[in-house]
Amino acid sequence: MGSRWSPYDNNGGTCVAIAGANYCVVAADTRMSTGYSILTREYSKTCKLADKCVLASSGFQADVRALQKNLSAKHLFYQHQHNKQMSCPAMGQLLSNTLYYKRFFPYYAFNVLGGLDNEGKGCVFTYDAVGSYERVGYSTQGSGSSLIMPVLDNQLKSPSPLLLPAKDAITPLSESEAVDLVKDVFASATERDIYTGDKVEIVIINDVGIRREYIDLRKD
Amino acid sequence: MSTPEVGVPRKGGFNFDLCRRNEMLFSKGIKPPSFLKTGTTIVGLVFKDGVVLGADTRATEGPIVADKNCEKIHYMAPNIYCCGAGTAADTEAVTDMISSQLQMHRYATGRESRVVTSLTLLKSHLFSYQGHVSAALVLGGVDVTGPHLHTIYPHGSTDTLPYATMGSGSLAAMAVFESKYKEGLTREEGIELVAEAICSGIFNDLGSGSNVDVCVITKGKTEYLRSHQLPNPRTYVSSKGYTFSKGLTEVLSTKITPLKQKQADTVPEGGDFMEE
Amino acid sequence: MEDMNLNAPHSMGTTIIGVTYAGGVILGADSRTSTGMYVANRASDKITQLDDNIYLCRSGSAADTQIISDYVRYFLHQHTIQQGQPATVKVASNLIRLLSYQNKSMLQAGMIVGGWDKHEGGQIYSIPLGGTILKQPFAIGGSGSSYLYGFFDQAWKEEMTKEEAESLVVKAVSLAIARDGASGGVVRTVTINADGVTRKFYPGDSLPLWHDEVVAHNSFLDILAGSSSPEPMST
Repeated sequence: MGSRWSPYDNNGGTCVAIAGANYCVVAADTRMSTGYSILTREYSKTCKLADKCVLASSGFQADVRALQKNLSAKHLFYQHQHNKQMSCPAMGQLLSNTLYYKRFFPYYAFNVLGGLDNEGKGCVFTYDAVGSYERVGYSTQGSGSSLIMPVLDNQLKSPSPLLLPAKDAITPLSESEAVDLVKDVFASATERDIYTGDKVEIVIINDVGIRREYIDLRKD
Repeated sequence: MSTPEVGVPRKGGFNFDLCRRNEMLFSKGIKPPSFLKTGTTIVGLVFKDGVVLGADTRATEGPIVADKNCEKIHYMAPNIYCCGAGTAADTEAVTDMISSQLQMHRYATGRESRVVTSLTLLKSHLFSYQGHVSAALVLGGVDVTGPHLHTIYPHGSTDTLPYATMGSGSLAAMAVFESKYKEGLTREEGIELVAEAICSGIFNDLGSGSNVDVCVITKGKTEYLRSHQLPNPRTYVSSKGYTFSKGLTEVLSTKITPLKQKQADTVPEGGDFMEE
Repeated sequence: MEDMNLNAPHSMGTTIIGVTYAGGVILGADSRTSTGMYVANRASDKITQLDDNIYLCRSGSAADTQIISDYVRYFLHQHTIQQGQPATVKVASNLIRLLSYQNKSMLQAGMIVGGWDKHEGGQIYSIPLGGTILKQPFAIGGSGSSYLYGFFDQAWKEEMTKEEAESLVVKAVSLAIARDGASGGVVRTVTINADGVTRKFYPGDSLPLWHDEVVAHNSFLDILAGSSSPEPMST
């Protein structure tokens, strides 16, 4: 009674994104694994889609790669047709459409999209595998998300959606405080999630441009 | 494995109908409660004058690390220890039961326990449960007949080896042993090789992690080196601490309902209230 | 990794052989024990002692055959004490047959008994899966045996010398090791005759591969280095 062949694999990994007043932090660990084996300790899960738009994805690497190529190609067409880069909210809608297009054979990819909107404010979009999405102040996806989300909720507490008038979802932290929080939540998730580890890649998007930082995580 | 014959009633042994029922329920999509699996690296080797046992200290429940520093080298007798991989409850229970039997045997005979005695007791227990007790063990010790190292599989088969590995990290650890083990290692070389094999499991197998425990058994002396190596410290701690101030949850409305005092029961006077 | 089936019960996909010769018997076996695709023990001893002059070659489930041989060894000790003389090969074989036959629904065990006693000399008994017993001049068993039927039909002779029989057994096991993925490691033999028991051990790297006309290359680059220029593909 052998198990049936599956077109999917789970390569693990965790992604986090935090939007601030004039910045956005997108981060992901660099471990890629299958089952109980590590395939590589330095695989970047982030992808720069436009000047002010970075996608971080975990799940099945083959599907993530296909999705990244698909979005990059569509963005190239967009640039030729409109002679400008796509805005981050537009890319957010495009990603949703792309995921829903494969509703009955989904990309096994769990995405967070981070960047700056047209007003220069930080924005984060979070997705499920078939394209349901929402603009939020912060989000996490992937194998360690259930460990990280409650910490972000506690530290960054988005205003209740029940409050009127509706408040902005942007977090009150400064850029350096947000980066510090990201490092800490990854170090913590690595303690308890076997699929998170090795390194975190932190991408910081602000009015100056894009900057990357790396810190080491546990390698066990 | 073997399927029961049609029409041939079982003559002896245990009844595994419930195990078959559980497998059927599982195949129909009903999930049993999860339990701790020590996705593990455990090893052992024989050196010049004794045996060295080693283990990692991670216990997992699915993808979550349930215990970052658990003990996998179990006590069997003062001169015998046993590393366990598989379901944590099974390895714990089986080693405790057999170590108690060995203690009783020592009271009765007044002699030091032998490694083969533990081996036979463990294998016959596991065999009678036909692999349903998931304990994969590396048993090591020194007795009157010298140093001994054995592996025991959940179905009750045993091997006698100069170096052995078990658990999900056994392939990573065996790779180290197969390339570096030689006969007549010194105590220090033995400990070093065991620690290297465990580290190979810790870093290359996701089921294994955290620290290295070692146990060195020589004639008349047992040393349990708990946390012999700590190769995985936390890599980052935020410089500012965290404060959890009160009242962070929005209060949308408040309503207080006072409790009503309940009438005290009075005992009827002079009645036959005790009658039933 | 998950497909390697590491949790499969320990089994001995095996090659085991027993041969009678003029004056005694020779038993032979490989030394590989595997769990699924993993070689759990590359130097196992599948020829187990049952009594002074009776040995057992085991194949199938390691746990089952170990338990059977433990029981039979215990029965034979008891038998020796009660009768005041060692048990015969026939008695040992029939005890194994009894356990195999009565517990056939729970066991996966194919075995070959070989031994010498003063009544009937060297004897080989084959006890395959369901508890059948066969007294044979030679017997082969385990997954590797399917590669050996033709060889034995051609090479086996009655009343061989000890040396002839021993080289036959070693050659046969090494042939099976070369073709059968579930057999491997070293060759172990046990020779039993009126003079007693002799164990022998043939390391894996001293065994012939039987297909050494195929030249081993470490990489494709070695092949390219051998010829002056790589040949272009032609249709």
